[in-house]
Amino acid sequence: MRVVIAEDNALLREGLLLLLTSAGHEVVAVATSGPEVLPALLEHRPDVAVLDVRMPPGFRDEGLLAALAARAEIPGLPVLVLSQYVEQAYAAELLGGGASGIGYLLKDRVGRVDEFLEALDRVAAGGTALDPEVITELLTRRRDSPLDALTPRERQVLELMAEGHDNTTIASTLVITERSVHKHIGNVFAKLDLPPSDSGHRRVVAVLTYLNNT
Amino acid sequence: MPPTAGRNEGAHTQMRGVVRYTTTVAPARARKRAGPPSLCSMRKTVRQAGRATAHLARAAALALGTYLFITMLLIAVAGAMVVIGIGTVPETVLLVRKIAGAKRRHVREWTGREIPEAYLAIPGPLRESLRAAVRDPCTYADLRWMLAYYGYGVLAVLAMPLWPLGLLVDGVWCGLLRRRAMLLPLIVRLADLDAAWSTALLKPPPRARLAERVRELADTRAGAVAAHGAELRRIERDLHDGVQARLVSMSMRIGLAKRAYEKDPVAGRKLLDDAQAQAEEALTELRHVVRGIHPPILTDRGLVGAVRALAAGSGLTVVVAGDDAGPRAPAAVEAAAYFVVAEALTNAAKHSGADRAEVRIARTDIGLRVLVRDEGRGGAEDLGTSGSGLLGIRRRIAALDGTMALSSPAGGPTMIDVELPCAW
Repeated sequence: MRVVIAEDNALLREGLLLLLTSAGHEVVAVATSGPEVLPALLEHRPDVAVLDVRMPPGFRDEGLLAALAARAEIPGLPVLVLSQYVEQAYAAELLGGGASGIGYLLKDRVGRVDEFLEALDRVAAGGTALDPEVITELLTRRRDSPLDALTPRERQVLELMAEGHDNTTIASTLVITERSVHKHIGNVFAKLDLPPSDSGHRRVVAVLTYLNNT
Repeated sequence: MPPTAGRNEGAHTQMRGVVRYTTTVAPARARKRAGPPSLCSMRKTVRQAGRATAHLARAAALALGTYLFITMLLIAVAGAMVVIGIGTVPETVLLVRKIAGAKRRHVREWTGREIPEAYLAIPGPLRESLRAAVRDPCTYADLRWMLAYYGYGVLAVLAMPLWPLGLLVDGVWCGLLRRRAMLLPLIVRLADLDAAWSTALLKPPPRARLAERVRELADTRAGAVAAHGAELRRIERDLHDGVQARLVSMSMRIGLAKRAYEKDPVAGRKLLDDAQAQAEEALTELRHVVRGIHPPILTDRGLVGAVRALAAGSGLTVVVAGDDAGPRAPAAVEAAAYFVVAEALTNAAKHSGADRAEVRIARTDIGLRVLVRDEGRGGAEDLGTSGSGLLGIRRRIAALDGTMALSSPAGGPTMIDVELPCAW
């Protein structure tokens, strides 16, 4: 895959470069400050972009704004945003234009190399990768809801589903069969009163919309 | 035709004039020709008195109108003067302040002691400047002094005739007879008297000093809040860019090492080495951050011990004088003192060219006094714009209501004298 990286911290930039090339990806451009990101994305039109949120010159949310701007120019451009802390508002902004090809992960997750690369693949393929912390925050934020009616297992399935995983991954993560994953998902959708939907990212959108709105 | 018409008109006006003349004059003549008193003439007299009364009544009404008009005019003039006068009040007060300021400088030149000022600032818009000018107790103090000075200002004039007399008398008394001079020292006494009275009268009243103090406290409080905010941002930035980034990078290398573990053990080992190096660097940075918040050695060794440690690491030969026995100052005061010394020694080592320095730490009645002195080339920047760090130190000290005096003449020595109030 052709990847564009935007990261101002030299250590992390170098680490990401090492990690991506060792996984067989091609890093076509590296941006080290906010204003460089958008031109690099428009020029190279990568298969996926890995962007840091906080970058020079302002050290605020330059990476996030660049990601949104790039997706406005190139609809559906897969973007994986990395950050040292997750902010619910940022997740909402990123998902505002649709959950397809969106990733938002804590930088800590990069250490789990295989999972990180898997998330990158998922985002590049038009899927979603949301950090468990984002989902946990979404789930704990709500008190009143039908979520309480979920069994612990169903809740786990919901969380993994919201993070953007497919049935196979959910099954292997929870060490259950895909059939029971399917059953749990059916129960979750029924309990939350959502229209049943099997296709990967439509399902994520439905769940996230539910979590965000109700 | 026209000429005739003109003449006709002329004749007509003349005619009218004549007619009027006869009608107005005729009653007067009739009055003069009035015969001896009789019942008939009594009626006439009453009628005339009545007419005269009506005339006087009209005159009175007219006079009333005139009074009213003049009164209004006077009020308008007075009003205009008040308006103009009010408009010039702030300017006048500023002028008074200037004159008082000149007198303060004048007295200071004689006594060598500063007379403090505690004026309220006079802002731009008239309404506010007027309020400030009128409310400022110093305005009245200055005016009181001016009034008094109107009297005792004559002292200067008194000195004049003393001169020739003094030269003559003291010339004989002191110059020839070797006695103590009598008259010329009187001139000195006069100047002393002038200075003493002026000092007493020009001192800001207690209320103004209190207001000044409140303003000062508000300023330093704002400074403290700003310093605190800057400190929080600095700590966040240090943790975010330093420690956190290193930990992520380390985690990344361990992850890669795990992947390489079986396929390429040599590369895996190299990655693990990198990861360990980053763990160590993260620890170093964490120590730096912690030291920037509150130096742990202060907790362990107390201020003097911590300053000795600083001195040992400064690269200079530093004499530290201080006593560690007795009660300790509050943590914030100790930390501020510690950072003052750290900054001063860093500057001395970096910029002054000195190889010796001296630090004195002393408990005073009102708090802690820290004095750092180096024998360098002086000329230390006080503004703190060029990253000298002194501005941060100054803020930190102001936040604790302390004072800092920096003396660094070109050629040295540089001396920083800091007082931090605290209770023992």
